[in-house]
Amino acid sequence: MMSLPFLLFACGLGAAWLRQRGAAMGFWVAGLVVLLVLFRVHMNDVLNIAL
Amino acid sequence: MPGDLSRLLNALGLIAVDTVLALAFVDQLWFRDLPCPLCILQRVAFFAAGFGLALTLVFGPRPSQYGVTILGAAVGAAISLRQMLIHIVPGSPGYGNAIFGMHLYTWAFIAFALMIIGCAILLLDDRQFARSEPWSNRLSVLPLTAFAVFFVLAIGNVISTILICGAGFCPEAPAGYLIFNDNLRLTELAQSL
Repeated sequence: MMSLPFLLFACGLGAAWLRQRGAAMGFWVAGLVVLLVLFRVHMNDVLNIAL
Repeated sequence: MPGDLSRLLNALGLIAVDTVLALAFVDQLWFRDLPCPLCILQRVAFFAAGFGLALTLVFGPRPSQYGVTILGAAVGAAISLRQMLIHIVPGSPGYGNAIFGMHLYTWAFIAFALMIIGCAILLLDDRQFARSEPWSNRLSVLPLTAFAVFFVLAIGNVISTILICGAGFCPEAPAGYLIFNDNLRLTELAQSL
């Protein structure tokens, strides 16, 4: 799941290399959305400290 | 500023992003400093931001591509700021190794801020967008290298993240490569039977 945005950006780079700008932007938007969702999931990760 | 100079500056910017991502790998593999989930998300944000620079190398400068970089860097800055705030508690040692007195997430925040400022400065000059003839399909050595390394690093991060986190979400403080640990447990289970 955490590797999905990397994969989407890699696909976007491949699309850019093939001169498919629309597809590349689509992959970038999808990657950014997944990144934001994952940030929401991990936003409240607790900090384990002994005070 | 002519478009060719803009393309060169974007190539240099992408090489800087490549260097940051490669150093993150060095820290992970050489110093055995496994990335936490927020650290991985900051790497993702570097790809989101660097994507705009890579598009400029292929398609020539366009304002929307600077928008891609600024949005990616803004998300990355938010993630690194969140991690700084998690560790701001007095007595917290922070996560991972410190470099020149600051942790990687603090350096990441500075890098994202510099990317936003750099894009804003590049956007000040409209002449780079005024080119009428189409851009050449052939990239020179520097942009081609920057693009190729960026792509290889993306694939490397896919593999690395699968090794650390498996197919699901990452543990909050990874102690090892989950996929190897699972295999180890399976081996132990097989031996005990």
